Amino acid sequence: MTLQSVELIRKRVAERPAELAEARTNGQKVVGWQGYNLPEELIYALGLIPVRIGAGGDDRLVEIGARYISTKNCVYVRETVGLFAENKDPIVQNTDFLAFDATCLQTYRTAEILEYYFNKEVVVLGVPRNFYWPEAQVYFTKEVEHFTGRLEELSGARLDHDKLAETIELYNRIRGAIVEIYEYQAERERLISWEETYDIIHAGYVLDRKEYLRMLEGTLRELQEAQGRPAPEEEDEARIFISGSVIPPGDKKLIHIINAVGGRIVGDDLWSGLIPYLDVHIGENTVEGVALAYINRTPHGALPYLELETDKRIKRLKELVKNYKAHGVIYHTLRYCDPYSFKAKETKDVLAAEGIPLLEIHTEYSGSDYEAIRTRIEAFVEMLKIRNFETLRN
Amino acid sequence: MSKVTAFAGVDVGSLGTKTVIMAEGEIIGSAIIRTGINTEENGWNGLNAALENAGLTRDDLAYVVATGYGRISAPYANKTVTEITCHAKGAHYIHPQTKTIIDMGGQDCKAIRLDDDGNVADFAMNDKCAAGTGRFLEVMANVFKVSLDELGPLSLSATEVLPVSSTCTVFAESETVSLLARGEKPENIIVGIHHAISKRVGGMFSRVGVQNDVFFSGGVAKNVGMRKALEEALQIKIVEPRKDPQLAGAIGAAVIAESAWKRGR
Repeated sequence: MTLQSVELIRKRVAERPAELAEARTNGQKVVGWQGYNLPEELIYALGLIPVRIGAGGDDRLVEIGARYISTKNCVYVRETVGLFAENKDPIVQNTDFLAFDATCLQTYRTAEILEYYFNKEVVVLGVPRNFYWPEAQVYFTKEVEHFTGRLEELSGARLDHDKLAETIELYNRIRGAIVEIYEYQAERERLISWEETYDIIHAGYVLDRKEYLRMLEGTLRELQEAQGRPAPEEEDEARIFISGSVIPPGDKKLIHIINAVGGRIVGDDLWSGLIPYLDVHIGENTVEGVALAYINRTPHGALPYLELETDKRIKRLKELVKNYKAHGVIYHTLRYCDPYSFKAKETKDVLAAEGIPLLEIHTEYSGSDYEAIRTRIEAFVEMLKIRNFETLRN
Repeated sequence: MSKVTAFAGVDVGSLGTKTVIMAEGEIIGSAIIRTGINTEENGWNGLNAALENAGLTRDDLAYVVATGYGRISAPYANKTVTEITCHAKGAHYIHPQTKTIIDMGGQDCKAIRLDDDGNVADFAMNDKCAAGTGRFLEVMANVFKVSLDELGPLSLSATEVLPVSSTCTVFAESETVSLLARGEKPENIIVGIHHAISKRVGGMFSRVGVQNDVFFSGGVAKNVGMRKALEEALQIKIVEPRKDPQLAGAIGAAVIAESAWKRGR
């Protein structure tokens, strides 16, 4: 049964576009952003309203986007372009300007396309390809300072130290609450599902951040109160962790199939999921402090493996799989999402050495491959269940 | 006569519906029929044909497992299992030393690695295109105006392997037409097609990790030319099956049916 707090969050998401429109009428500016290394705190601290944009799963919007970019670009960026081309999405309609980072080069190029075809004002944050060199940290800090300066120009506001400190505190609490809810969704007694948790994360893309934190804390309170109460028996023999390409709001194909064939999702390291909320340790409440914290997080898949044995991303993946007691990993790659597609075999081999099976699912937003994907995932779930059965029997 | 406790495996594929009846671990009946447009009806027809072959009736069936793409419309089945799991169990039943399976069916192609108990350890499937499938070879057979069964024997008389660069069905068809127009011998083109498919399967095969013994299952496994091309291209030895390799999925389904019935699920 869905928690009341989750239902409330969904209701507030539906009401949010009207609030954004009203806020704009009252002179506030809304910034639509997309990326992984873009510190949203800075947008918020400047008194701007951040909304994370992008959607998936709609082949019609992908086709519209393909009128402006190549069909060899990934479907996610094609759909993002489609959203702006169609201009009917109430969140997109309510953006005053956009902010993108250059983590994924396709996303970065999307920013240029939106500027060129739809006359959108876009601020781009440069990102180094190698995060580990001191020079890269200096470069990124300068980029974040420049990014902040551009936001100040566009908003007409100046970044205030106290406001930044207050914002960092707010965001740290949001991150902490999300991580805590993730722990609940992975428990045997499922008071909240991964799917609901994932929806909660996506709700945070648009909701007012202070209200969002109150709602997250409300969800945690409800979860704490529900502990120990009898919960319905749930399938738990094939606990699946999802990794790989972005699964944005609206893209439900993979999630539906996993559930339909008796798998249970218990975690992810998606950049549209948990991973952006992990390992953000802001030392000083300054722009530099924020920049350094972001560059020291788990890197996005678009950045190279530098040393396989010490790679932070793969290390974090293994830790999360273990933490959420997953039996196997489904590695989702979107067609033409090169960063993740390139790493599929490598990731599979590394996990295989730890006894963790990985299934790569390569897909896009059309439904033509639904049954073929269903067969693969169903076979993978069967494999995990047989393994668990054999383990218990021995 | 005492009542037989029989188990059925029904594999409704895109081109053929294969059914196997088992009792006490032995195959006592089977049938292979052409798949029509009504998926559910295919399953019933296959089941009835195999029961007739075994001299049994539906009342003798204790448990039925459906597999193949038609498993989603199988009200006659107690349980559905994917063809990947079923081919693993079927290959293990036919040849217990099997560690790797190449399965080429009507609309897809798979590489499956097994553990010692015949359970799936890893697998890979072809993507969207039809290359390396029965449907692809069927299109090619039409170009040469021969039946699907004739392709294999014909290719064995080839004097050279003509390179066929494309494994996309549509492009390969036009490439084949061009080669024929150039006066090339059909058998040399056919062997080239088999090699092109083998190379494509090779990538999938290496992703799951090849271990001997290698079992070739599915309808395409009956094509001796395809089998020879796979052995040459992948540098492997494929085992001689003691049962019809096209029945492997249905056999696996029947094995699972018996096991599930014994476990009470």
